[in-house]
Amino acid sequence: MTIEAALSNDIFLTYLAIVGGILAFAGVVLGALTLIGKDVSSIWKTYRGWLVMIPLVFGTIFLGRTATIIGVTLLAIFSFKEFARATGLYDDWWFTGTVYVAITALGVASLVTDPRLQSAGWYGIFMALPVYVIATILLIPIIRNRAKGQLQRVALAIVGFVYFGWMFSHLAFLANTPYAYGYLLYLIFAVEINDVAAFTCGKLFGLHKLRENISPNKTIEGSLGAVAVSMTIPWLLWFSFPHFEALDLILAGLIVGIGGQVGDLTISYIKRDIGIKDMGVVISGHGGILDRVDSMIFVAPIFFHMVRWFHGLS
Amino acid sequence: MKEWKYHPPPDIDATMLESLRDFPRQPYMLVYAMRSLAALLLRGWMKIYHRLEVAGRNNLPESGSFILICNHTSHLDTLSLLTAIPLKKIHHTFPAAAADYFFSSLPRSAMSAILINALPFDRKVKGAESLKVCSQLLANDGNILIIFPEGTRTRTGEMGRFRSGIGRLVVGTDLPVIPCHLAGGLNAWPKRRILPRPHKLRLTIGAPQTFIHLEKNGESVRAVCQNLEDRVAQLRSSGA
Repeated sequence: MTIEAALSNDIFLTYLAIVGGILAFAGVVLGALTLIGKDVSSIWKTYRGWLVMIPLVFGTIFLGRTATIIGVTLLAIFSFKEFARATGLYDDWWFTGTVYVAITALGVASLVTDPRLQSAGWYGIFMALPVYVIATILLIPIIRNRAKGQLQRVALAIVGFVYFGWMFSHLAFLANTPYAYGYLLYLIFAVEINDVAAFTCGKLFGLHKLRENISPNKTIEGSLGAVAVSMTIPWLLWFSFPHFEALDLILAGLIVGIGGQVGDLTISYIKRDIGIKDMGVVISGHGGILDRVDSMIFVAPIFFHMVRWFHGLS
Repeated sequence: MKEWKYHPPPDIDATMLESLRDFPRQPYMLVYAMRSLAALLLRGWMKIYHRLEVAGRNNLPESGSFILICNHTSHLDTLSLLTAIPLKKIHHTFPAAAADYFFSSLPRSAMSAILINALPFDRKVKGAESLKVCSQLLANDGNILIIFPEGTRTRTGEMGRFRSGIGRLVVGTDLPVIPCHLAGGLNAWPKRRILPRPHKLRLTIGAPQTFIHLEKNGESVRAVCQNLEDRVAQLRSSGA
Protein backbone atom coordinates (compact mmCIF):
# COMPACT_ATOMS: atom_id res chain seq x y z
CA MET A 1 0.00 0.00 0.00
CA THR A 2 1.64 3.18 -1.25
CA ILE A 3 0.44 6.28 -3.06
CA GLU A 4 1.75 4.92 -6.40
CA ALA A 5 0.12 1.56 -5.75
CA ALA A 6 -3.21 3.21 -4.94
CA LEU A 7 -3.11 5.26 -8.16
CA SER A 8 -2.62 2.13 -10.27
CA ASN A 9 -4.82 -0.15 -8.18
CA ASP A 10 -8.08 -0.95 -9.95
CA ILE A 11 -9.79 -2.01 -6.73
CA PHE A 12 -9.04 1.31 -5.02
CA LEU A 13 -10.10 3.33 -8.05
CA THR A 14 -13.30 1.31 -8.54
CA TYR A 15 -14.36 1.88 -4.92
CA LEU A 16 -13.56 5.56 -5.29
CA ALA A 17 -15.85 5.69 -8.34
CA ILE A 18 -18.64 3.68 -6.67
CA VAL A 19 -18.65 5.73 -3.45
CA GLY A 20 -18.23 9.01 -5.32
CA GLY A 21 -21.16 8.04 -7.54
CA ILE A 22 -23.40 7.11 -4.61
CA LEU A 23 -22.49 10.34 -2.82
CA ALA A 24 -23.22 12.45 -5.89
CA PHE A 25 -26.49 10.61 -6.54
CA ALA A 26 -27.59 11.03 -2.92
CA GLY A 27 -26.71 14.73 -3.11
CA VAL A 28 -28.85 15.18 -6.22
CA VAL A 29 -31.79 13.28 -4.68
CA LEU A 30 -31.56 15.31 -1.46
CA GLY A 31 -31.30 18.53 -3.45
CA ALA A 32 -34.38 17.60 -5.48
CA LEU A 33 -36.32 16.73 -2.31
CA THR A 34 -35.38 20.09 -0.79
CA LEU A 35 -36.49 21.88 -3.97
CA ILE A 36 -39.96 20.30 -3.96
CA GLY A 37 -40.33 21.40 -0.35
CA LYS A 38 -39.70 18.22 1.68
CA ASP A 39 -38.05 18.67 5.07
CA VAL A 40 -34.79 16.74 4.82
CA SER A 41 -32.66 18.94 7.06
CA SER A 42 -31.69 16.11 9.42
CA ILE A 43 -30.64 13.94 6.46
CA TRP A 44 -28.59 16.85 5.11
CA LYS A 45 -26.76 16.94 8.43
CA THR A 46 -25.94 13.24 8.18
CA TYR A 47 -24.96 13.75 4.55
CA ARG A 48 -22.54 16.55 5.44
CA GLY A 49 -21.00 14.20 8.00
CA TRP A 50 -20.38 11.68 5.21
CA LEU A 51 -18.87 14.41 3.05
CA VAL A 52 -16.21 14.81 5.74
CA MET A 53 -15.72 11.15 6.65
CA ILE A 54 -15.53 9.59 3.19
CA PRO A 55 -12.62 11.76 1.95
CA LEU A 56 -10.87 11.09 5.27
CA VAL A 57 -11.20 7.31 4.83
CA PHE A 58 -10.11 7.30 1.19
CA GLY A 59 -7.38 9.84 1.87
CA THR A 60 -5.91 7.73 4.66
CA ILE A 61 -5.97 4.51 2.60
CA PHE A 62 -4.58 6.43 -0.38
CA LEU A 63 -1.59 7.59 1.70
CA GLY A 64 -0.66 3.96 2.27
CA ARG A 65 -0.03 1.28 4.84
CA THR A 66 1.54 3.43 7.56
CA ALA A 67 -1.19 6.06 7.41
CA THR A 68 -3.89 3.39 7.47
CA ILE A 69 -2.42 1.62 10.50
CA ILE A 70 -1.95 4.92 12.36
CA GLY A 71 -5.46 6.00 11.39
CA VAL A 72 -7.13 2.82 12.67
CA THR A 73 -5.02 2.92 15.84
CA LEU A 74 -6.12 6.50 16.52
CA LEU A 75 -9.74 5.50 15.91
CA ALA A 76 -9.31 2.62 18.38
CA ILE A 77 -7.78 4.96 20.97
CA PHE A 78 -10.59 7.49 20.60
CA SER A 79 -13.22 4.72 20.68
CA PHE A 80 -11.75 3.47 23.93
CA LYS A 81 -11.62 7.02 25.24
CA GLU A 82 -15.33 7.47 24.57
CA PHE A 83 -16.03 4.18 26.35
CA ALA A 84 -13.80 5.18 29.27
CA ARG A 85 -15.44 8.58 29.59
CA ALA A 86 -18.95 7.17 29.38
CA THR A 87 -18.30 4.56 32.07
CA GLY A 88 -16.29 6.90 34.29
CA LEU A 89 -13.13 4.77 33.99
CA TYR A 90 -11.50 7.86 32.46
CA ASP A 91 -11.30 9.43 35.94
CA ASP A 92 -8.61 6.87 36.74
CA TRP A 93 -5.66 7.90 34.61
CA TRP A 94 -3.59 4.84 35.55
CA PHE A 95 -5.96 2.44 33.85
CA THR A 96 -6.83 4.77 30.99
CA GLY A 97 -3.18 5.59 30.34
CA THR A 98 -2.20 1.92 30.39
CA VAL A 99 -4.84 1.06 27.81
CA TYR A 100 -3.76 4.02 25.63
CA VAL A 101 -0.20 2.72 25.67
CA ALA A 102 -1.44 -0.82 24.99
CA ILE A 103 -3.49 0.22 21.95
CA THR A 104 -0.51 2.19 20.66
CA ALA A 105 1.54 -1.00 21.07
CA LEU A 106 -0.99 -2.82 18.85
CA GLY A 107 -0.42 -0.17 16.20
CA VAL A 108 3.34 -0.61 16.49
CA ALA A 109 2.97 -4.41 16.25
CA SER A 110 1.01 -3.92 13.02
CA LEU A 111 3.64 -1.54 11.64
CA VAL A 112 6.93 -3.33 12.34
CA THR A 113 8.41 -6.20 10.41
CA ASP A 114 8.22 -9.67 11.93
CA PRO A 115 11.83 -10.30 13.09
CA ARG A 116 11.72 -14.04 12.24
CA LEU A 117 9.48 -14.24 9.19
CA GLN A 118 10.50 -10.85 7.74
CA SER A 119 6.87 -10.21 6.84
CA ALA A 120 5.07 -6.89 7.26
CA GLY A 121 3.42 -6.71 10.68
CA TRP A 122 4.47 -8.78 13.69
CA TYR A 123 1.55 -11.19 13.86
CA GLY A 124 2.83 -13.17 16.85
CA ILE A 125 3.18 -10.21 19.19
CA PHE A 126 -0.08 -8.71 17.94
CA MET A 127 -1.95 -11.83 18.99
CA ALA A 128 0.03 -12.22 22.24
CA LEU A 129 -0.37 -8.61 23.39
CA PRO A 130 -3.66 -9.17 25.28
CA VAL A 131 -1.81 -11.55 27.63
CA TYR A 132 0.71 -8.90 28.63
CA VAL A 133 -1.79 -6.07 28.69
CA ILE A 134 -4.29 -7.95 30.85
CA ALA A 135 -1.45 -8.92 33.18
CA THR A 136 -0.39 -5.27 33.43
CA ILE A 137 -3.94 -4.09 34.09
CA LEU A 138 -4.30 -6.70 36.85
CA LEU A 139 -1.04 -5.45 38.37
CA ILE A 140 -2.14 -1.81 38.67
CA PRO A 141 -4.11 -2.22 41.95
CA ILE A 142 -1.18 -4.17 43.44
CA ILE A 143 1.33 -1.49 42.45
CA ARG A 144 -0.90 1.24 43.88
CA ASN A 145 -1.82 -0.82 46.98
CA ARG A 146 -5.56 -0.30 46.48
CA ALA A 147 -8.53 -2.64 46.70
CA LYS A 148 -11.72 -0.57 46.85
CA GLY A 149 -13.47 -0.40 43.49
CA GLN A 150 -10.53 -1.98 41.69
CA LEU A 151 -12.32 -4.99 40.20
CA GLN A 152 -14.74 -2.72 38.36
CA ARG A 153 -11.86 -0.68 36.96
CA VAL A 154 -9.85 -3.75 36.00
CA ALA A 155 -12.90 -5.25 34.28
CA LEU A 156 -13.74 -2.06 32.40
CA ALA A 157 -10.12 -1.60 31.33
CA ILE A 158 -9.84 -5.18 30.05
CA VAL A 159 -13.13 -4.97 28.11
CA GLY A 160 -12.03 -1.58 26.82
CA PHE A 161 -8.68 -2.87 25.64
CA VAL A 162 -9.79 -6.21 24.21
CA TYR A 163 -12.93 -4.99 22.48
CA PHE A 164 -12.22 -1.41 21.40
CA GLY A 165 -8.47 -1.81 21.09
CA TRP A 166 -7.48 -5.31 20.12
CA MET A 167 -10.51 -6.55 18.19
CA PHE A 168 -10.84 -3.27 16.32
CA SER A 169 -7.10 -3.10 15.53
CA HIS A 170 -7.38 -6.25 13.41
CA LEU A 171 -8.60 -3.83 10.76
CA ALA A 172 -5.20 -2.12 10.87
CA PHE A 173 -3.36 -5.44 10.54
CA LEU A 174 -5.28 -6.18 7.32
CA ALA A 175 -3.24 -3.35 5.75
CA ASN A 176 -0.30 -5.80 5.73
CA THR A 177 -1.98 -8.26 3.37
CA PRO A 178 -1.52 -8.25 -0.44
CA TYR A 179 -5.26 -7.64 -0.88
CA ALA A 180 -5.29 -4.76 1.60
CA TYR A 181 -7.25 -2.39 -0.64
CA GLY A 182 -9.92 -4.99 -1.39
CA TYR A 183 -10.27 -6.22 2.18
CA LEU A 184 -10.32 -2.79 3.83
CA LEU A 185 -12.57 -1.06 1.34
CA TYR A 186 -14.94 -4.04 1.16
CA LEU A 187 -15.24 -4.13 4.97
CA ILE A 188 -15.82 -0.39 5.36
CA PHE A 189 -18.25 -0.22 2.44
CA ALA A 190 -20.16 -3.40 3.31
CA VAL A 191 -20.49 -2.53 7.00
CA GLU A 192 -21.99 0.87 6.17
CA ILE A 193 -24.34 -0.65 3.56
CA ASN A 194 -25.38 -3.20 6.19
CA ASP A 195 -26.22 -0.37 8.62
CA VAL A 196 -28.22 1.47 5.98
CA ALA A 197 -29.97 -1.74 4.87
CA ALA A 198 -31.00 -2.59 8.46
CA PHE A 199 -32.41 0.90 8.88
CA THR A 200 -34.21 0.97 5.52
CA CYS A 201 -35.64 -2.56 5.71
CA GLY A 202 -36.79 -1.82 9.25
CA LYS A 203 -38.57 1.34 8.09
CA LEU A 204 -40.18 -0.43 5.12
CA PHE A 205 -41.15 -3.82 6.55
CA GLY A 206 -40.50 -3.56 10.30
CA LEU A 207 -43.19 -5.19 12.45
CA HIS A 208 -41.58 -7.33 15.15
CA LYS A 209 -39.11 -5.92 17.64
CA LEU A 210 -35.67 -7.52 17.50
CA ARG A 211 -34.35 -6.75 21.00
CA GLU A 212 -36.77 -4.29 22.57
CA ASN A 213 -34.83 -3.94 25.84
CA ILE A 214 -31.65 -2.95 24.05
CA SER A 215 -32.59 -1.01 20.95
CA PRO A 216 -36.35 -0.51 20.60
CA ASN A 217 -36.22 0.77 17.02
CA LYS A 218 -34.65 -2.36 15.54
CA THR A 219 -36.91 -4.98 14.03
CA ILE A 220 -36.50 -8.62 13.02
CA GLU A 221 -37.53 -7.69 9.47
CA GLY A 222 -34.89 -4.97 9.27
CA SER A 223 -32.27 -7.34 10.62
CA LEU A 224 -33.09 -10.15 8.19
CA GLY A 225 -33.24 -7.68 5.32
CA ALA A 226 -29.78 -6.41 6.21
CA VAL A 227 -28.35 -9.94 6.30
CA ALA A 228 -29.92 -10.61 2.89
CA VAL A 229 -28.44 -7.42 1.42
CA SER A 230 -25.05 -8.09 2.99
CA MET A 231 -25.06 -11.63 1.57
CA THR A 232 -25.33 -10.26 -1.97
CA ILE A 233 -22.69 -7.52 -1.58
CA PRO A 234 -19.58 -9.80 -1.76
CA TRP A 235 -20.83 -11.26 -5.06
CA LEU A 236 -21.30 -7.78 -6.50
CA LEU A 237 -17.87 -6.73 -5.22
CA TRP A 238 -16.07 -9.96 -6.13
CA PHE A 239 -13.37 -7.90 -7.86
CA SER A 240 -12.18 -6.85 -4.38
CA PHE A 241 -10.94 -10.40 -3.68
CA PRO A 242 -10.66 -12.31 -6.96
CA HIS A 243 -9.12 -15.31 -5.15
CA PHE A 244 -12.29 -15.85 -3.07
CA GLU A 245 -14.45 -18.89 -3.77
CA ALA A 246 -18.18 -19.27 -3.18
CA LEU A 247 -17.71 -20.31 0.47
CA ASP A 248 -15.52 -17.26 1.15
CA LEU A 249 -18.11 -14.95 -0.39
CA ILE A 250 -20.92 -16.49 1.69
CA LEU A 251 -18.85 -16.18 4.87
CA ALA A 252 -17.81 -12.60 4.05
CA GLY A 253 -21.48 -11.68 3.64
CA LEU A 254 -22.56 -13.47 6.82
CA ILE A 255 -19.77 -11.94 8.91
CA VAL A 256 -20.72 -8.43 7.87
CA GLY A 257 -24.47 -9.04 7.98
CA ILE A 258 -24.52 -10.63 11.43
CA GLY A 259 -21.35 -9.14 12.95
CA GLY A 260 -22.30 -5.60 12.01
CA GLN A 261 -25.62 -5.85 13.80
CA VAL A 262 -24.14 -7.59 16.84
CA GLY A 263 -21.55 -4.82 17.11
CA ASP A 264 -24.30 -2.24 16.90
CA LEU A 265 -26.34 -3.99 19.59
CA THR A 266 -23.25 -4.35 21.81
CA ILE A 267 -22.72 -0.59 21.91
CA SER A 268 -26.48 -0.17 22.36
CA TYR A 269 -26.63 -2.24 25.52
CA ILE A 270 -23.47 -0.62 26.87
CA LYS A 271 -25.04 2.79 26.34
CA ARG A 272 -28.37 1.68 27.78
CA ASP A 273 -26.71 0.18 30.84
CA ILE A 274 -24.79 3.41 31.46
CA GLY A 275 -27.88 5.48 30.71
CA ILE A 276 -26.69 7.70 27.87
CA LYS A 277 -27.99 8.28 24.34
CA ASP A 278 -24.81 8.84 22.35
CA MET A 279 -21.19 8.08 23.15
CA GLY A 280 -20.29 11.72 22.55
CA VAL A 281 -20.55 14.37 19.87
CA VAL A 282 -17.79 14.32 17.32
CA ILE A 283 -19.39 14.01 13.92
CA SER A 284 -22.41 16.24 13.46
CA GLY A 285 -25.44 14.05 12.72
CA HIS A 286 -23.59 10.84 13.62
CA GLY A 287 -22.96 11.08 17.39
CA GLY A 288 -19.58 10.00 18.74
CA ILE A 289 -16.87 7.97 17.04
CA LEU A 290 -18.15 4.77 18.63
CA ASP A 291 -21.65 5.38 17.32
CA ARG A 292 -20.11 5.27 13.84
CA VAL A 293 -17.56 2.45 14.10
CA ASP A 294 -19.53 0.16 16.43
CA SER A 295 -20.49 -2.27 13.66
CA MET A 296 -16.90 -2.62 12.47
CA ILE A 297 -15.50 -3.78 15.82
CA PHE A 298 -17.13 -7.20 15.62
CA VAL A 299 -16.65 -7.62 11.90
CA ALA A 300 -12.95 -6.77 11.57
CA PRO A 301 -11.39 -9.58 13.67
CA ILE A 302 -13.76 -12.31 12.48
CA PHE A 303 -13.26 -11.40 8.83
CA PHE A 304 -9.52 -11.21 9.50
CA HIS A 305 -9.32 -14.74 10.88
CA MET A 306 -11.60 -16.11 8.17
CA VAL A 307 -9.26 -14.70 5.53
CA ARG A 308 -6.19 -15.92 7.39
CA TRP A 309 -7.59 -19.43 7.78
CA PHE A 310 -8.49 -19.89 4.14
CA HIS A 311 -5.90 -17.79 2.33
CA GLY A 312 -3.15 -16.76 4.75
CA LEU A 313 -2.03 -13.21 5.32
CA SER A 314 0.75 -12.98 2.75
CA MET B 1 -25.59 -9.28 42.00
CA LYS B 2 -25.86 -5.56 42.60
CA GLU B 3 -25.51 -3.23 39.66
CA TRP B 4 -22.40 -1.19 39.10
CA LYS B 5 -22.62 2.56 39.25
CA TYR B 6 -21.29 4.40 36.21
CA HIS B 7 -20.30 8.05 36.24
CA PRO B 8 -20.49 9.51 32.74
CA PRO B 9 -19.15 13.10 32.68
CA PRO B 10 -21.67 15.96 32.47
CA ASP B 11 -20.26 17.14 29.14
CA ILE B 12 -20.78 13.84 27.29
CA ASP B 13 -23.29 15.45 24.90
CA ALA B 14 -21.26 18.63 24.38
CA THR B 15 -19.49 19.46 21.14
CA MET B 16 -15.80 20.32 21.25
CA LEU B 17 -16.46 24.08 21.28
CA GLU B 18 -19.06 23.71 24.03
CA SER B 19 -16.81 21.68 26.27
CA LEU B 20 -13.95 24.15 25.74
CA ARG B 21 -16.16 27.03 26.86
CA ASP B 22 -17.77 25.03 29.66
CA PHE B 23 -16.58 25.67 33.19
CA PRO B 24 -15.57 23.98 35.47
CA ARG B 25 -13.64 22.09 32.85
CA GLN B 26 -13.54 18.29 32.64
CA PRO B 27 -10.00 16.90 32.91
CA TYR B 28 -8.57 15.47 29.68
CA MET B 29 -5.26 13.64 29.59
CA LEU B 30 -4.18 15.11 26.26
CA VAL B 31 -5.10 18.62 27.43
CA TYR B 32 -3.05 18.17 30.62
CA ALA B 33 -0.09 16.94 28.61
CA MET B 34 -0.32 19.84 26.16
CA ARG B 35 -0.70 22.37 28.99
CA SER B 36 2.29 20.99 30.90
CA LEU B 37 4.39 21.13 27.75
CA ALA B 38 3.20 24.69 27.01
CA ALA B 39 4.01 25.73 30.59
CA LEU B 40 7.54 24.34 30.26
CA LEU B 41 8.13 26.10 26.95
CA LEU B 42 6.65 29.30 28.39
CA ARG B 43 9.06 29.19 31.32
CA GLY B 44 12.01 28.95 28.97
CA TRP B 45 10.68 31.71 26.73
CA MET B 46 10.02 34.12 29.62
CA LYS B 47 13.47 33.54 31.10
CA ILE B 48 15.44 33.80 27.86
CA TYR B 49 13.47 36.27 25.74
CA HIS B 50 12.19 38.55 28.49
CA ARG B 51 14.79 37.82 31.19
CA LEU B 52 11.88 37.66 33.64
CA GLU B 53 12.88 38.30 37.24
CA VAL B 54 10.52 37.24 40.03
CA ALA B 55 10.81 38.88 43.46
CA GLY B 56 8.87 37.70 46.52
CA ARG B 57 8.15 34.17 45.36
CA ASN B 58 8.07 33.08 49.03
CA ASN B 59 4.88 35.14 49.46
CA LEU B 60 2.96 32.45 47.53
CA PRO B 61 1.09 30.19 50.00
CA GLU B 62 2.27 26.57 49.96
CA SER B 63 -1.26 25.17 50.07
CA GLY B 64 -4.89 26.20 49.99
CA SER B 65 -6.73 28.34 47.48
CA PHE B 66 -5.73 31.93 46.86
CA ILE B 67 -6.11 34.81 44.42
CA LEU B 68 -3.36 36.58 42.53
CA ILE B 69 -4.08 40.11 41.40
CA CYS B 70 -1.85 42.17 39.16
CA ASN B 71 -1.74 45.36 37.16
CA HIS B 72 -2.72 44.77 33.53
CA THR B 73 -0.51 46.19 30.82
CA SER B 74 -0.27 43.30 28.36
CA HIS B 75 -0.81 39.55 27.88
CA LEU B 76 2.63 39.14 29.43
CA ASP B 77 1.05 39.72 32.87
CA THR B 78 -0.76 36.40 32.78
CA LEU B 79 2.22 34.63 31.27
CA SER B 80 4.59 36.04 33.94
CA LEU B 81 2.27 34.99 36.77
CA LEU B 82 1.91 31.51 35.26
CA THR B 83 5.70 31.29 35.16
CA ALA B 84 5.95 32.25 38.84
CA ILE B 85 3.62 29.45 39.98
CA PRO B 86 5.09 25.99 40.70
CA LEU B 87 4.71 23.70 37.68
CA LYS B 88 2.66 21.08 39.54
CA LYS B 89 -0.03 23.67 40.34
CA ILE B 90 -0.41 24.75 36.72
CA HIS B 91 -3.59 22.71 36.14
CA HIS B 92 -5.21 24.30 39.18
CA THR B 93 -4.36 27.85 38.18
CA PHE B 94 -7.10 29.75 36.38
CA PRO B 95 -6.51 33.18 34.88
CA ALA B 96 -9.89 34.93 34.64
CA ALA B 97 -10.11 35.94 31.00
CA ALA B 98 -12.68 38.10 29.22
CA ALA B 99 -15.14 35.70 27.62
CA ASP B 100 -15.90 38.19 24.83
CA TYR B 101 -12.23 38.20 23.76
CA PHE B 102 -10.61 34.90 24.74
CA PHE B 103 -13.58 32.63 24.01
CA SER B 104 -14.88 34.34 20.88
CA SER B 105 -13.86 31.65 18.37
CA LEU B 106 -12.85 27.99 18.30
CA PRO B 107 -9.06 28.56 17.90
CA ARG B 108 -9.05 31.22 20.62
CA SER B 109 -11.18 29.11 22.96
CA ALA B 110 -8.91 26.12 22.37
CA MET B 111 -5.81 28.17 23.11
CA SER B 112 -7.32 29.80 26.21
CA ALA B 113 -8.79 26.61 27.63
CA ILE B 114 -5.99 24.18 26.76
CA LEU B 115 -2.78 26.17 27.08
CA ILE B 116 -3.68 28.90 29.58
CA ASN B 117 -6.48 27.11 31.49
CA ALA B 118 -8.42 30.36 31.39
CA LEU B 119 -11.67 30.84 33.27
CA PRO B 120 -14.19 32.49 30.91
CA PHE B 121 -15.22 35.68 32.70
CA ASP B 122 -18.21 37.61 31.41
CA ARG B 123 -17.24 41.23 32.03
CA LYS B 124 -20.20 42.67 30.15
CA VAL B 125 -23.51 40.98 30.95
CA LYS B 126 -23.28 38.28 33.58
CA GLY B 127 -20.54 39.63 35.84
CA ALA B 128 -22.27 38.42 39.02
CA GLU B 129 -22.61 34.89 37.62
CA SER B 130 -18.94 34.82 36.68
CA LEU B 131 -18.02 35.93 40.19
CA LYS B 132 -20.11 33.06 41.57
CA VAL B 133 -18.15 30.61 39.40
CA CYS B 134 -14.96 32.13 40.82
CA SER B 135 -16.02 31.74 44.44
CA GLN B 136 -17.13 28.13 43.82
CA LEU B 137 -13.73 27.46 42.30
CA LEU B 138 -11.94 28.97 45.30
CA ALA B 139 -14.14 27.03 47.73
CA ASN B 140 -12.33 23.89 46.52
CA ASP B 141 -8.93 23.40 48.03
CA GLY B 142 -5.76 24.22 46.13
CA ASN B 143 -7.12 26.36 43.31
CA ILE B 144 -5.41 29.56 42.23
CA LEU B 145 -7.33 32.35 40.54
CA ILE B 146 -5.58 35.10 38.59
CA ILE B 147 -7.55 38.34 38.32
CA PHE B 148 -6.79 41.69 36.77
CA PRO B 149 -9.03 44.02 38.79
CA GLU B 150 -8.67 46.85 36.27
CA GLY B 151 -10.76 44.75 33.90
CA THR B 152 -8.77 45.65 30.80
CA ARG B 153 -5.24 46.36 29.62
CA THR B 154 -3.99 49.92 30.12
CA ARG B 155 -2.94 51.84 27.05
CA THR B 156 -1.05 54.59 28.84
CA GLY B 157 0.82 52.71 31.55
CA GLU B 158 -1.24 54.40 34.26
CA MET B 159 -3.00 51.85 36.44
CA GLY B 160 -6.79 52.01 36.05
CA ARG B 161 -9.25 52.02 38.99
CA PHE B 162 -9.94 48.55 40.43
CA ARG B 163 -13.40 47.29 39.64
CA SER B 164 -15.56 46.05 42.49
CA GLY B 165 -15.50 42.34 41.54
CA ILE B 166 -12.35 41.49 43.49
CA GLY B 167 -13.76 43.23 46.58
CA ARG B 168 -17.07 41.38 46.35
CA LEU B 169 -15.20 38.10 45.91
CA VAL B 170 -13.02 38.31 49.06
CA VAL B 171 -14.72 40.64 51.54
CA GLY B 172 -15.54 38.80 54.77
CA THR B 173 -13.69 35.63 53.70
CA ASP B 174 -10.36 34.16 54.73
CA LEU B 175 -9.22 33.88 51.08
CA PRO B 176 -5.69 35.26 50.77
CA VAL B 177 -5.26 37.86 48.02
CA ILE B 178 -1.73 38.30 46.78
CA PRO B 179 -1.01 41.65 45.14
CA CYS B 180 1.53 41.50 42.32
CA HIS B 181 3.06 44.03 40.00
CA LEU B 182 4.68 43.46 36.64
CA ALA B 183 7.05 46.13 35.38
CA GLY B 184 8.07 46.33 31.72
CA GLY B 185 4.98 44.74 30.20
CA LEU B 186 3.79 47.85 28.42
CA ASN B 187 7.11 48.34 26.67
CA ALA B 188 7.43 44.71 25.77
CA TRP B 189 3.95 44.16 24.39
CA PRO B 190 1.73 47.23 23.89
CA LYS B 191 -1.95 46.58 23.19
CA ARG B 192 -1.77 47.06 19.43
CA ARG B 193 1.30 44.96 18.66
CA ILE B 194 0.85 41.36 17.48
CA LEU B 195 4.06 39.95 18.97
CA PRO B 196 6.06 40.98 22.04
CA ARG B 197 9.45 42.67 21.93
CA PRO B 198 12.39 41.25 23.90
CA HIS B 199 12.17 43.75 26.76
CA LYS B 200 13.04 42.89 30.33
CA LEU B 201 10.22 42.04 32.74
CA ARG B 202 10.17 42.19 36.53
CA LEU B 203 7.43 40.61 38.60
CA THR B 204 7.07 41.58 42.26
CA ILE B 205 4.89 39.39 44.45
CA GLY B 206 3.55 41.09 47.58
CA ALA B 207 2.45 39.75 50.96
CA PRO B 208 -0.94 37.93 51.18
CA GLN B 209 -3.92 39.98 52.41
CA THR B 210 -7.14 38.70 53.96
CA PHE B 211 -10.32 40.63 54.61
CA ILE B 212 -12.19 38.37 57.04
CA HIS B 213 -12.57 41.19 59.57
CA LEU B 214 -14.75 43.24 57.20
CA GLU B 215 -18.52 43.00 56.90
CA LYS B 216 -20.07 42.24 53.53
CA ASN B 217 -21.35 45.60 52.38
CA GLY B 218 -20.70 48.13 49.65
CA GLU B 219 -18.49 50.28 51.82
CA SER B 220 -16.07 47.51 52.73
CA VAL B 221 -16.01 46.33 49.10
CA ARG B 222 -14.78 49.78 48.14
CA ALA B 223 -12.30 49.71 51.02
CA VAL B 224 -10.91 46.34 49.89
CA CYS B 225 -10.52 47.57 46.32
CA GLN B 226 -8.79 50.74 47.47
CA ASN B 227 -6.51 48.77 49.81
CA LEU B 228 -5.47 46.36 47.07
CA GLU B 229 -5.03 49.13 44.55
CA ASP B 230 -2.69 50.91 46.97
CA ARG B 231 -0.72 47.75 47.60
CA VAL B 232 -0.14 47.08 43.91
CA ALA B 233 0.87 50.73 43.49
CA GLN B 234 3.28 50.32 46.42
CA LEU B 235 4.88 47.28 44.78
CA ARG B 236 5.30 49.39 41.70
CA SER B 237 7.20 52.13 43.48
CA SER B 238 9.26 49.68 45.57
CA GLY B 239 10.04 47.47 42.61
CA ALA B 240 11.06 50.26 40.26
